[in-house]
Amino acid sequence: MAHDNSIREEAVAWAVRTSDPAFADWDSFTQWLERNPAHAEIYDAVMADVDEAAEALPAVPLAANDEVIPPRQTIASRRGWLAGGMVMALAALCGIGLWQMSGGPRVIETDPGETRIVTVDDGSRIALGGDSAIRLDSSNPRLVTLERGQALFTITHDETRPFEVAVGTDRLLDIGTVFDVRLDNARMSVAVSEGAVQFNPDEQKVNVTPGHILTSAIGDSAYRLAAIPPAQVGEWLQGRLTFNDALLSDVAADLTRATGQKFDVSPAMMTRRISGSVLTAPVKADPKSLGPLLGVTITPTVEGWSIEAP
Amino acid sequence: MANRLRLLRFFAARGAGDGAEDCLQELWLKISAAHSGPVAAPESYLFQMANRLMIDRYRSARQAEKRDLEWSAATSGDGHDISDAPSAERVLVARQYAALVAQEIEKLGERPAAIFRRHRVDGVPQRDVAAEFGVSLSTVESDLRRAYSTLKALKERLNEA
Repeated sequence: MAHDNSIREEAVAWAVRTSDPAFADWDSFTQWLERNPAHAEIYDAVMADVDEAAEALPAVPLAANDEVIPPRQTIASRRGWLAGGMVMALAALCGIGLWQMSGGPRVIETDPGETRIVTVDDGSRIALGGDSAIRLDSSNPRLVTLERGQALFTITHDETRPFEVAVGTDRLLDIGTVFDVRLDNARMSVAVSEGAVQFNPDEQKVNVTPGHILTSAIGDSAYRLAAIPPAQVGEWLQGRLTFNDALLSDVAADLTRATGQKFDVSPAMMTRRISGSVLTAPVKADPKSLGPLLGVTITPTVEGWSIEAP
Repeated sequence: MANRLRLLRFFAARGAGDGAEDCLQELWLKISAAHSGPVAAPESYLFQMANRLMIDRYRSARQAEKRDLEWSAATSGDGHDISDAPSAERVLVARQYAALVAQEIEKLGERPAAIFRRHRVDGVPQRDVAAEFGVSLSTVESDLRRAYSTLKALKERLNEA
């Protein structure tokens, strides 16, 4: 919907003026509309957008410390920012810490609700989700171990120096890639948005391609391959979580990791499944807001919040 | 009806095309429903109502289009959820959308944000807002233009998602 900038500015100016009940110069407005049929269209869009926004507004009490949520990027632009300086801009927006790796083996950890971006080796980037840990080894900069939690890898591919991720007892070999790895509840998963990853190059040798997610229990050679919309891979980095028929216990774990608010599920509800998609910042600010979003009930507990499905 | 031709011309310019007569008809019905007795509404009020009518039509057309899209997205699924990727609006259910709107508005600064709320949420006319804030009417307009632009841009970003 690319409109000429000056038309857009004019439309905004008319929208402001005609919003006022005292506005009287309808003839001039009519003449402006008649000059170009595109005028009416853009004017309508501005008015409708502002109406919707103004109608939504009273519902929100304001918190001065609200985080800024960057809008979801399209896949094409995501490539751009993952590769370039936009990461810095995003980091500034979200308050994500940027870490440069220095020598020696070291573990980088995050608290629940925290996100970090680590630059390793030759410009490859690892974005670490909340309550996660990776181990880096300066003697082998092309090997990273995910000790717990979730990380999005954007790897500069080098045929002669393959990049490997160790997760639990499994190994992932990058074949030029953006991929998201997670480890929790003794289960690992890898989802690929670009390039490909080889699962256990010495064993199963399964190639995971864009739009696919492989899950496997730790220590178990069985695995499961399923489809995932590529745009969903690593979307947590942009402050969004999507659940497709997900176990409530996983939902609680993901939300705890992403928001730093402790979410639990009553034992009877652990195996219930729900679907939905949420932005994490508003949930962090008000855990109860999750209820209507996912169709669940949120009740306060001693430690945090309990999620119950209807 | 001196206003009849001007209103018809207005509706046509507003994008009603051949439907301008229908719009005019609808406008009369609305106004007669709102007022008992003969309609003696001031001219600017007629135009205000006419303009509102067109905005409402635009909004319901847009809603309908969105529902159609979601319907086809929901019914063409292959079971793997790819076409089931939630649309921006469905995801940003009221509250989250509202939080985004609030953030965008607050980013403009304290006065523009407050002026926008006063005018658009509380419905205070622009001249009165200017008096309340002790600024000129053109300052109010300029603050509102910034707010409108930012909200239009927000919507575009959400639609692209």
